[in-house]
Amino acid sequence: MASILEIIFELINNMLQFFRLGKKSISNSLNIYIKSNTGSTLSIELDPKWDIKNVKEVIAPKLGLPPNEVKIIFAGKELDDSITIEECDLGEQSILHAVQSRSQSKRSRPLSESVANLQLSNISENDDSSSTIEEQLESSEEKGIKNTHFYVYCSQPCKSVRVGKLRVRCANCHSGALTVDSDPSCWDDVLKSNRITAHCEETRCETGPVSFAEFFFKCAEHTSQGEKDEAVPLYLIRPNISHVPCLACTDISDPVLVFSCEERHVTCLDCFRQYCVTRLRERQFVSDDRLGYTLPCPAGCENSLIEECHHFRLLTSEQYQMYQRFGAEEYVLKAGGVLCPQPGCGAGIIIDTDCKRVQCVGGCGVRSH
Amino acid sequence: MAALPRRIIKETQRLLQEPVPGISAVPDDANARYFHVIVTGPEDSPFEGGLFKLELFLPEDYPMSAPKVRFITKIYHPNIDRLGRICLDILKDKWSPALQIRTVLLSIQALLSAPNPDDPLANDVAELWKVNEVEAIRNAKEWTRRYAMDN
Repeated sequence: MASILEIIFELINNMLQFFRLGKKSISNSLNIYIKSNTGSTLSIELDPKWDIKNVKEVIAPKLGLPPNEVKIIFAGKELDDSITIEECDLGEQSILHAVQSRSQSKRSRPLSESVANLQLSNISENDDSSSTIEEQLESSEEKGIKNTHFYVYCSQPCKSVRVGKLRVRCANCHSGALTVDSDPSCWDDVLKSNRITAHCEETRCETGPVSFAEFFFKCAEHTSQGEKDEAVPLYLIRPNISHVPCLACTDISDPVLVFSCEERHVTCLDCFRQYCVTRLRERQFVSDDRLGYTLPCPAGCENSLIEECHHFRLLTSEQYQMYQRFGAEEYVLKAGGVLCPQPGCGAGIIIDTDCKRVQCVGGCGVRSH
Repeated sequence: MAALPRRIIKETQRLLQEPVPGISAVPDDANARYFHVIVTGPEDSPFEGGLFKLELFLPEDYPMSAPKVRFITKIYHPNIDRLGRICLDILKDKWSPALQIRTVLLSIQALLSAPNPDDPLANDVAELWKVNEVEAIRNAKEWTRRYAMDN
């Protein structure tokens, strides 16, 4: 009896679904901007279940083009008709590029898949800044996302370390209407300029159609706030695919921090924080002229200084403030300055060479000789 | 007291199950961060035949900070002073969390085999070691016999 009811229910459900698809009504809509290479921008509602062919059918009339002459470009790739929206890691208010093309170029899988073989399509939008990356990762896993591959420091609005997503634009005109000739195969391809060539579809681009790809990162955890909304890649934080134990606690965690030394020493994020705090308290950070106030690999390897100081954003905000204060103090002392001796002041003062009497004007007003 | 980190538990288990030849390290019953260590004087060194007691303490932020190690048994060595403090780079600025209790004790054992009077902690011992090595070694043997045997 129950099974017959189930079959009937399923039938009705299927019919309803067919009906929904047929009318292209949107159950779980995503608001996306479509930018054309002629300069116009459309705002459309998409169903994450639609494929690129559906999208073309919807936008082609609005652009005054036949659907088969529209190319959809996202994150450096021309998307194939069969790819569904939810397979790309499109967030709310992301931008897709539509360009006119009669020629069939090579179509491919989204960058998110070809580079990292992962999808970030349904990262939660909640901004619980008190939770740690590990907690966020766990909650992401509960929502069916595995192996998040990029981490960023999002300065606005999240103000914390977040899951990030890789994007690409033309190095010359900064347009996103660009297809890369090859995928980046290592971090240098992503972080250094002029390593990957690309085809720029922007009609106003001066160097186009052949240009270089410029990679950048966005925070995957807040709604995109436009093309200028970027995040700093924390490229030393990586998924622990080969299950390397932390050199300090010997536990196997994910993600981990991989130092840039030849041995590629690994620490878990907790041990990294502890390492930073210990070295900070002992004033054992390195003041590097080029890189700033930073640390080498805990095993003391050569050429292992952390180049991107935003990695210290893994610290708590109080610890990070201490890092900033100590860094500034070291800089003042290194530049031949002095620090105000008044407890709680500590303002840095750079003294003129012939000056014999110093007053802390901006800080507390204490005089000293 | 805070729970013992897993790394310390693992290191302790391994020290007890697969001890380093010539070295025994046993955690104190009351404090798992405090180890009673006995190092055998290496062969072909003036310390041969001696059993040297040391204490080893893992500070709160171990392994970010080095273990604190000290000789309890008196020893005549240019890099170890009267209080038993040891001059060894890996216990100071060359410490790395990749090192372990095991590697530290091995380094101390190696230091007994290869005294380095050019980087002294006990100045009088180092001085004699440089100007009259024969006499220095004789002193070291004498101290070993007197303080590190049969006790």
